[in-house]
Amino acid sequence: MNGQALLYGGVTVAFWSTLLVVGICYTIFDLGFRFDVAWFLTETSPFMWANLGIGLAISLSVVGAAWGIYITGSSIIGGGVKAPRIKTKNLVSIIFCEAVAIYGIIMAIVISNMAENFSGTTPDTIGFKNYQAGYSMFGAGLTVGFSNLFCGICVGIVGSGAALADAQNASLFVKILIVEIFGSAIGLFGVIVAILQTSKVKMGD
Amino acid sequence: MAEEMFGRLVSIMMVFSLLLSVFTTRSCSDHVPLIMWSSEGRSLWTQDPPVAGHIVSRSQLETYLSSAFGSAPNSAPHTVLLFLQDRLSVDDITLYGGVFGNKQDSVFPNLETALQSSSSLLVLPSVSGSASVPEVLQGLLNVAPLSLDPEQLNELHLDVSSPALLVFRLPFGTGSNEMAPKDSLRENDRLMGNVLDAVKAQAVPYTAVYTALAPSWVTRDVNPAPQSVGRSLLQATNDVYAPLQILDNMGKVCILFWASNLTVSVLQSGQWQKADLTDKTFISSGVEKNGSCNASNSQLILKYGNILGFQTFQLTFAMSQRLYPVSARQWFTLDQVQLNYDGHNATFNGSDGITAPSEYSYHCQMVSSSDYPLLVPSTPTDNAKQWILTFTDFQIQGFGVTGENFSYANDCASFFTPGIWMGLVTSLLLLLILTYGLHMILQLRSMDRFDDPKGPAIAVPQND
Repeated sequence: MNGQALLYGGVTVAFWSTLLVVGICYTIFDLGFRFDVAWFLTETSPFMWANLGIGLAISLSVVGAAWGIYITGSSIIGGGVKAPRIKTKNLVSIIFCEAVAIYGIIMAIVISNMAENFSGTTPDTIGFKNYQAGYSMFGAGLTVGFSNLFCGICVGIVGSGAALADAQNASLFVKILIVEIFGSAIGLFGVIVAILQTSKVKMGD
Repeated sequence: MAEEMFGRLVSIMMVFSLLLSVFTTRSCSDHVPLIMWSSEGRSLWTQDPPVAGHIVSRSQLETYLSSAFGSAPNSAPHTVLLFLQDRLSVDDITLYGGVFGNKQDSVFPNLETALQSSSSLLVLPSVSGSASVPEVLQGLLNVAPLSLDPEQLNELHLDVSSPALLVFRLPFGTGSNEMAPKDSLRENDRLMGNVLDAVKAQAVPYTAVYTALAPSWVTRDVNPAPQSVGRSLLQATNDVYAPLQILDNMGKVCILFWASNLTVSVLQSGQWQKADLTDKTFISSGVEKNGSCNASNSQLILKYGNILGFQTFQLTFAMSQRLYPVSARQWFTLDQVQLNYDGHNATFNGSDGITAPSEYSYHCQMVSSSDYPLLVPSTPTDNAKQWILTFTDFQIQGFGVTGENFSYANDCASFFTPGIWMGLVTSLLLLLILTYGLHMILQLRSMDRFDDPKGPAIAVPQND
């Protein structure tokens, strides 16, 4: 068993055994009532959720874009050795991947502008509007982040195929570009839904 | 080498046992043995012998002897011969009684034959010196003791129909008496034998007791009992008082309340005036406490007099319990804390934070209406806005009270604070991302299908 598999196996075992032991202790001491998800959701600050959303929006988008670019880029460069004419045309695939990262940063800036200060400290005084804001921003960040992540991977793999096909036969490129366009549309869907999620956010007192 | 180590080990053990014996605080307990036997036909007593090492107290001795001599008035009168030696310890019998297989060296031949031929035997190796056997016997038999010399017994005619207590003093002196202890004991045994023979000659059933006034082996206190070197925790210096109790109709405790500090403050003419009610409530009982409990509501009412300029001042804690179906258990809440002062009311709501399952009590380090408020004014315009109520180390239980102590305290502070949870969640997320990224990077492979380390290097054309 190689080291990596051992590490992952060990971490998994540690995680599940911790959960098991904690659960058993809660049960046998009749303290199950203290396992309170609602307490966790109301006592943790809405700011944590909001900022997690912002962070995930940009970072997951960038991961998708980077993944797509390196897949496409290595194909273009490799194919360009034998067929240098493909270099210029296939930069379009790179731009499609880059667009995904741009969606991510735009959404991150939009969401972060919604974070305002509030003066409450207890669940009552914080108020439901602020909780809604926090959770919405977290959800929007997840939405745009994950859709851009998979969009970027998709565009990258398709772009890689396009570059190699173009190197073989120049007439194939335009058709494959259509596939790429469909692939990049899904990133846009994520952005639209995230905008809708944060449309009603009003943080503050 | 091994012998040297063994010798050292033995010497260490000896030193250790010596130290142990020196430092063991043996109390100077005054205990003497008591041997009682009877020549009557049947066995007189069937008591359990005492546990080894147990020193029989006076009351226990009375139990033993009363079972022997019977407290019933219609029992046959006993003739009791009490051989009272000046000093005797069990160790004398052990040392001189020929118990280590050397029966021929025993100094108690008459005693042994008497014990063997007796029908009942009671041996108490340690009777407390304060038990005073003659007095106990005198009390049980209701007859005055008669001190005799052993030689005088021949002249005495024993009457079977009336109880008799004959006391024979046996000398066992130290110091001025030149006789060695062994000889002294042997002499006493001879005297005992003479007495027993004389009584046997008169065909009188008797019960004989051989005991002493004081022990002959005295272990002195080497070390006085050490002064208490107990350590106390820093926090145990303040007085701890019992919780305030409210009884229900049946006299059972139904509400328990405790706080290490109870202060009320009122805003009067722009200034906050403070009053500390801890002493009155818990320590000096300067409060009139009242309350009522039923299955779903409990109320604790504390009436003070003249607080902060108000003639009447009353604190009311209203608690209620009900079944919450989602968690499938009963929870109680402190719904309201109401202050009544001179006809005005100020009400605080505590039902959001001050909750616990019904069978447990609620504890919180700080229950206040000012900092991290668990008590909030019931309405925004309530008089409670002008009051600050602060409890430190607050603990309350309004239902399910068993006994005088609180049940398990459901604390307002959890094991992980919200901040710790937030940090854990964020860190876990970042760790996951890091793990995923590392996994990806570690499985990157470069194209090596056409690698040929032994072949010629590839030539890349410079033009085109």
